Amino acid sequence: MDTDSPPTQKPALDTKPRSATEAPRPLWRRFLDSDLFVLGLTMVVVVVVVPFTHGFLSPGNLLNVASNFWPLLLVVIGQTFVLIAGGIDLSQTAIMAFTSVFGAMLVATSASPALYAKSPFWGIFFNETGGILGSGIGVGAAWLVMLGLGALVGALNGMFVARVGMPPFMVTLTTTLFITAFTVWSTKSENILNLPPAYDWLATDWVAACIAVVIAVLAHVILSRSVYGQWLYSTGINARTAQVSGVPVRRVIVIAYLLSGMFTAMGAALYTARLGAGRPTLGANLLMDVIGAAVIGGVSLMGGRGRITGAALGVLFFVVLTNALNLMGLEFYTIMWIKGLVILIAVAVDTLRTRMESRA
Amino acid sequence: MLHVRLNRNELGLVLLRNMPLVLLAVVFLSFSLLDHRFFDVQTLVNIARQASYVGILAVGMTFVLLTAGIDLSVGAVAYLAAVLVSELLKHTPLPVVALPLVMIAIGVGAGMLSGSITAFARITPFIVTLAGMSIYRGYALGVSQSREANFPIGLTDLGNLPIFGVPLPIVIFMLVVVVAQLVLSRTAYGRQLYAVGQDPDAATRAGIPTRRVIVSVYVIAGALAGLAAFVAVIQMGTIVPSFGTGDEFDAIAAAVLGGASLFGGRGTVFPGTVAGTLLVQMIAVGMVFTQVDLYLTPMISAAVIFAAVLLDTLRTRQLAKISKRTIRVEPPSEPVLVTPAR
Amino acid sequence: MTTDPAPRLVFEGVAKGFFGVPVLRGIDITIAPGEVVGLVGENGAGKSTLMNILGGVLAPDAGTMRLDGVPYAPNNPIDAGRAGVVFVHQELNLFPNLSIQDNLFITDFPKAAVPTFISPGKARRRARDLLARIGLDRDPRTTVDLLSPGERQQLEIAKSLSGEPRVVIFDEPTTSLTARETKRLFALIRELTQEGASVIYISHILADVLDLCDQIVVLRDGSLVDAGPRQSFSISTMISRMVGRDLDRLYPERHAQPTEEVVLDVRGLSEPGTIQDVTFQVRAGEVVGVFGLMGAGRSEMARIVFGLDRHKSGQVLVKGVERPKADPRSRINAGMGFVTEDRRNEGLLMDSSVTSNIGLAVLPRFATALGLVRTAALRVAALDSSKKLNLKSSRPDRQPVRSLSGGNQQKAVIAKWLLTKPEILILDEPTRGIDVGAKHEVYTVIDELARMRTAVLMISSELPELMNTCDRILVMRRGEVEGEFAASEFDETMILAAAFGQSGAASDRGPAVSAGASVPGEVA
Repeated sequence: MDTDSPPTQKPALDTKPRSATEAPRPLWRRFLDSDLFVLGLTMVVVVVVVPFTHGFLSPGNLLNVASNFWPLLLVVIGQTFVLIAGGIDLSQTAIMAFTSVFGAMLVATSASPALYAKSPFWGIFFNETGGILGSGIGVGAAWLVMLGLGALVGALNGMFVARVGMPPFMVTLTTTLFITAFTVWSTKSENILNLPPAYDWLATDWVAACIAVVIAVLAHVILSRSVYGQWLYSTGINARTAQVSGVPVRRVIVIAYLLSGMFTAMGAALYTARLGAGRPTLGANLLMDVIGAAVIGGVSLMGGRGRITGAALGVLFFVVLTNALNLMGLEFYTIMWIKGLVILIAVAVDTLRTRMESRA
Repeated sequence: MLHVRLNRNELGLVLLRNMPLVLLAVVFLSFSLLDHRFFDVQTLVNIARQASYVGILAVGMTFVLLTAGIDLSVGAVAYLAAVLVSELLKHTPLPVVALPLVMIAIGVGAGMLSGSITAFARITPFIVTLAGMSIYRGYALGVSQSREANFPIGLTDLGNLPIFGVPLPIVIFMLVVVVAQLVLSRTAYGRQLYAVGQDPDAATRAGIPTRRVIVSVYVIAGALAGLAAFVAVIQMGTIVPSFGTGDEFDAIAAAVLGGASLFGGRGTVFPGTVAGTLLVQMIAVGMVFTQVDLYLTPMISAAVIFAAVLLDTLRTRQLAKISKRTIRVEPPSEPVLVTPAR
Repeated sequence: MTTDPAPRLVFEGVAKGFFGVPVLRGIDITIAPGEVVGLVGENGAGKSTLMNILGGVLAPDAGTMRLDGVPYAPNNPIDAGRAGVVFVHQELNLFPNLSIQDNLFITDFPKAAVPTFISPGKARRRARDLLARIGLDRDPRTTVDLLSPGERQQLEIAKSLSGEPRVVIFDEPTTSLTARETKRLFALIRELTQEGASVIYISHILADVLDLCDQIVVLRDGSLVDAGPRQSFSISTMISRMVGRDLDRLYPERHAQPTEEVVLDVRGLSEPGTIQDVTFQVRAGEVVGVFGLMGAGRSEMARIVFGLDRHKSGQVLVKGVERPKADPRSRINAGMGFVTEDRRNEGLLMDSSVTSNIGLAVLPRFATALGLVRTAALRVAALDSSKKLNLKSSRPDRQPVRSLSGGNQQKAVIAKWLLTKPEILILDEPTRGIDVGAKHEVYTVIDELARMRTAVLMISSELPELMNTCDRILVMRRGEVEGEFAASEFDETMILAAAFGQSGAASDRGPAVSAGASVPGEVA
């Protein structure tokens, strides 16, 4: 859109003098940028909601909030990688459904022909006696398959974006359409029931928490300390400079999408365990939450910026917000537009912040 | 030598530009081969009639695409327009003529919102309209209480009303196409749209009011979403809560298959988007005809959209490469003997 | 012409600087109506800045302009256009997806009988007339992406004719034109002057300037060094006026000695439309300069050698091994580095810290087995590298590069490549837009690199700089290597003449004379 640089075609001379030390940024700006701000927002929501609802602060509800937190965190971690690279992954909801269904299919303890005989994979991946991987150790294998499928879809997304040059939002939207349709076709709209007891293990709160925390720490380390992390940020900030400086930009992008797919699959496993079924509609309404959580958490839509700590706080905000809105008895559609509005405001703030920094 | 080189490029570009018509013919023949009953005038009429709704949406989308933008909220806006009018009619009767006008007005309002945020807050359009999609649909569902929205009986008569033998929806579609194409090719505004999509900075430097232009295309997309809703209402009579979901993708597919580019600066309403719309509709009808599994049709649609975007990307990159020549290094290829290029 | 009571355009004391660096120093020019004034000078002499001021793109720091006796101070190009000042830029401002007639009238379409509609018929006819004046023989409905570079340039010129201009500025209008098209342009310019318009003509084809202009103005280093009627100039006098700078800049003493080992071997590199048959070698410890005027293809050549852009034919051999096309990583792994021309967009991550920027190219070399960065070691190395360049930063881990001065920014880019311990370093305009002190430091580093047997290829538009830092200078012109000068043969006038095309004569529009001549050109 408009350029920030002076109107000469190529400003040959540096037109902005800077002192060797920068002036300290105003306190309100620093607060706005910090993670404290997001935490503060979350507190505001809590404070506003508590008088209007019953039982927000009850242990049962808080546990509910927590158990919603872990899987969403995993998905948002995936989105964070892609956003930092300067792209976006709108196919996460589809990947969730896709991996959920196929993971379940492979290990169901039994399957009623009445429901599933029409599935194109009946007899191939599962039949009356259950999934082909069995229900013992097979469950672990099924999880690995889920990760693999998520990674595969992610890698495909990444290649179309990085090698062919197609716009990320369009690629991932189209992938969503295709994969959602494929998943629904695979089960002919049925949920895959009868998950083995081993699968339930993931539904245990402390297990989910551990997995999410471990992944979060891993992701944080990768982003902040690894070579790949530095490459990722530089690609998102300025892909041209990165390329000239020897960063394998295309590979970096593909890996980001691959990781996104993989982490999404992990989140799907957690959700599936809690729901007790493989669902072709899993995650259908989560897109706004994921993007909203990331943006509010300081991960910029324009790339090159964001941290796991911020993203986690963003997830907390959205989980608390959703819970609060539900407790207030609001209808799903009211919640829909409220979230849309929240995202719009978050993105506006993000854009403003990014442009202000470039001008400063 | 210069002459020959250009002709080869010209030929390639001419083919590329008429691709939608070529594809249309190819698909029609293919389905006809698969099922002889397809090869019938009535088929074409049915396609045209069903295409009117998506077609009008696609025309609006074309305007947005020309500026290198996107509008993911048109389906939601159509639903909103339908629902609000349905509510309105419960309280105040309105003359039939007023209905499309009110729905267009609602669309204009929504478009003004999306467009202003995109142009002035300079947020990337896909996220603005993605959020818009949630906001408009969420709000509309609140109005309809997630139930069917009803309209006065008799309204559906309009859906079949023949104007000189042509059903009203098709007539409305044709009118929209004619006006839109005239605007694009015969007004200064239309030509400036192409400039803004190609290079917004150069457009601003040349004195074009770029930001106003950008707002205007979202207003147009919104207005046409409202009109499209009217066309749907008179054909269906009742609007279900999921109405409009996913229609933005059909509109995008139709426009991009018709030659409009996601990267801006390219596309026509006629023949482009019209051909694209017919193509998308023909594929849908053709799949019903050949009794493709209902579960497979959305996958095929998704594949079609993907192919359209892929082709668009490849073509845009190819064109960018050709334009990269800077200095002429070869000796001037005009020794006295050769006649000048004509 | 001679004294005319009412001058068309007057510049009085026009000056401009970009934060401490003066670019124009008090320019006084008087232009009569119907006069053609040739503006000549090297790159960086200030021609573009002066014309940008005239055209409303920039505002002067001091001085005034008067147009037909009335003070003239446009806020933007649209104001300038309304006042009758038309600037035909060297960089084209066309919309390739639109037709010729659309481009011509994009804000000014001829109207149809029906309100709000435009008349394509009228537009076509009017376009035909404009095209005929410029000699562009194409259907106005043709889309611009089908036009050749020369035709596009002609179209850009035609755009300026649609009003009734009072002053028309042509900035290098013939770089893509053939001889016939150029003749047509000159005829057009004469028509314009007969209609009363004044013309300012900027070109490095000095024979054309002599042919066309009534008055000639020579700029050098932002000052007007000579102005007078055409008759008082010849090509050689023009060149010598452009040359001869005060040696107020100190160049460090050179210690490096080139070796015999060829490290970079470029053979017959060609990319149609960009460069043609470029061949040269750079040895270890040698500093080779590449000189040429704007548009000579030097940066394009460097980008192709480094692998950022493709090439059609020819080879790039690093240490005897041919490198694959368009693969910068293979070059970097082989020990090549590239300080690009555009440091803000391609050399730096403006909002990232100094340390992050300097470490960007060597991250894998500072990684542990697990792929984690050894931050402490990297920081030390980065600091070390900045010290070599005297890069001052109070808190390199935190300070964003954007807040550094131009000189320090450039040092950061060079520091980045220093860390890679390059065997070949290409620098494209490394001292452009930086202060004198920083320049000295850059020259010192280049010499040190050469002493450590790095092969250095330096592109620059400042001839004295090259003459004081290089062992050899290549001269490029119109995408080809025009000449090569060894240190013993360094002669500013001769090198400049080569850059202008030996004698700057009309013969430079014919087929390339003595391809890759290694004998210094003669001045006509």
